Amino acid sequence: MPPLLLIGTIPVTAALIALILPRVQATRMVVCLLIWLQFVLLATAWGPVAIDNGVVNIAHDLSADHIGILFVLLTTLVAASAFTHAPFFFAREEMEPGYRASRERLYYCASALFLLAMSFVFLCDNLGYLWIAVETTTLCSAPLVYYSATKHALEATWKYFIICSVGIAFALLGTILVFASSQSTGAGGSLNWKELVALGPQLQYPLLRLGFIFCFLGYGTKAGLFPLHSWLPDAHSEAPAPASAMLSGALLNSALFAIFRLSQVVIANNHPQLVFDLAVVGGTATTLAASIFLIRQHGIKRLWAYSSIENVGLMLVAIGFNSPALFFLQALNHSLSKVALFLLSGNIIQALGTKRLSEIRGLLQVSPAWSILLAVAACAVTGSPPFGSFISEWLILAAAADSKNYVVVAALLVSLAISFVAVCFYVTRVISGSPPRNSAAFAVTGTSLVPALLVVVCLIAGVTFVPLYVVGIR
Amino acid sequence: MNLSLIDSLAMGAALVGPMMAGSGHLRTNLSLYGVQTALLAVASGLVADSKHEPTMYVVALAIVVLKAIAIPFFLNWIAGRIAVRTDSTFWLRPPVAMHLCVLFLGFSYVLSQQLPVDAARHYSQIGATAAISLVLSGLVLMLTRRLAISQIVGFLVTENGIYLFALTQTNGMPLFVEMGILLDVLAGVMIAGLLLFDIKKSFEHIDVEKLADLKD
Repeated sequence: MPPLLLIGTIPVTAALIALILPRVQATRMVVCLLIWLQFVLLATAWGPVAIDNGVVNIAHDLSADHIGILFVLLTTLVAASAFTHAPFFFAREEMEPGYRASRERLYYCASALFLLAMSFVFLCDNLGYLWIAVETTTLCSAPLVYYSATKHALEATWKYFIICSVGIAFALLGTILVFASSQSTGAGGSLNWKELVALGPQLQYPLLRLGFIFCFLGYGTKAGLFPLHSWLPDAHSEAPAPASAMLSGALLNSALFAIFRLSQVVIANNHPQLVFDLAVVGGTATTLAASIFLIRQHGIKRLWAYSSIENVGLMLVAIGFNSPALFFLQALNHSLSKVALFLLSGNIIQALGTKRLSEIRGLLQVSPAWSILLAVAACAVTGSPPFGSFISEWLILAAAADSKNYVVVAALLVSLAISFVAVCFYVTRVISGSPPRNSAAFAVTGTSLVPALLVVVCLIAGVTFVPLYVVGIR
Repeated sequence: MNLSLIDSLAMGAALVGPMMAGSGHLRTNLSLYGVQTALLAVASGLVADSKHEPTMYVVALAIVVLKAIAIPFFLNWIAGRIAVRTDSTFWLRPPVAMHLCVLFLGFSYVLSQQLPVDAARHYSQIGATAAISLVLSGLVLMLTRRLAISQIVGFLVTENGIYLFALTQTNGMPLFVEMGILLDVLAGVMIAGLLLFDIKKSFEHIDVEKLADLKD
């Protein structure tokens, strides 16, 4: 199958099915199966290419290299997990008085297109296409945040939409400046990052620097870079749980990937110091700020949203040290555990009817299975051994120590410690105590399935070191 | 100083920015936005002519049809439907905002001198001044207005500035990229417009300052 069809056919079909199929119950099953089919097809067709370190040429200015393929697979896996959990989520939503089938249809249609837009981010060679793909992810995910159509959802959607659009507009200005920096090289300018990397030192540094700074801030807004993160906790908290999982586990990666691509151009221009200054310093500040915000949180999903910001900071540090392998490793471990946490939190919110951390108590009596999974997934996301995130965070710290940036090491260690304590405190509080009396009935087995599998995969990733071989560290 | 026709058009578009900041009337603002975009489209046509790039004509045409005509009409229709005519509540009074924009125009001139653009080839300082001042005017509009619809207009002005920057400082982005950007902007305006209806319905106003329930 031509690669372009391979990447596009299934999401577009799923989006159409969501709109056409008369029974939403059937849509849930069909779309879930289709996205898994997409994952299997991509993994079998492109997985071997990634392991051989090859490149899949898709079309003019579109191709998939090693790290691109890995990220596409991760994004599809995250989406497939969210789509597998979604039937349980919506089966419970159907019992709510405000439920409308038309909204669920829109949700399915938008999230299938959202997956497609995010996949394209990893495949664009052309920085202009990259910008279009990132902006399209905003357009496709706005309906997801707006799903419940409440006042709060509306406020969150509006903030998300406006803040990210303005941020992305600055990334466009940055892209134009990068393009302008390549014009004096004779070929008349290029937007293809591979050509820009090949031109390397010939690019005009002053323009490139300005362009990179704008792109960093623009795409950084979308990734939740401190202090441009204000939309992120609102959007993650107001979106339905499967959408929060996709926003946190996939969208943040794609915004960071855009920064990563541009950082490669700057590094080829012999100015790694600029990337270091922005990404490592910005990343460390983001991690530190997010961990401080974690101390005092009122909503369970806001807690995980700030934990996502903290991980974005860590990934930025990995990008700053010019280590795509560590960037992917941290993204993989964060995405898997965070998706599990968001899906579990969705279950808890539906069962107890509240998002407020102060009202969610006694989970152990409501559902022991959820409690155990929540505790284990929280350990995984905070980087405790033996989970995969321990290895990736350790390697990031080691990279910082190797380059003798002890301030960065110290700041990261402090913020990891703070966030570990904060998350442990809130999770213990949620699990212990006595539950509110009005907890609703729910299906434990189905709703625990996806989080449990994800936690197991996290554990395998940590114990077997498989991801390290995949990214080529060992 | 000798101004080329393209530079004069760019400057004309930039001067519309302070005018928009000075008017609280929504319909006037939307018309001004249309005029501004049309000026930019003519400038793109002239650039296409001087560089002999037929694809740029397509971009210029698309800008006229979609951005200069369709978007103002669409937003005007929405404003009519939700019965908003004036943006009566400001953080900064319109005359102050207008003077701020004029100040920014001068500031843009200083900034454009600092721009490290290759002077020999693609440099139009007036174009850069106009582009930067449009970006800043858009930001002033977004920050000083309270109504959600004015924020959209401010965003569009900023986007015009970025487009003008690409037009005057580079030798043309590829057609696919230009069209993709245009489509994304259009889709964004559509989605934002639909959200406006719902903001009006559930809050009975479109004052973004009152959208402040969510916090830590």
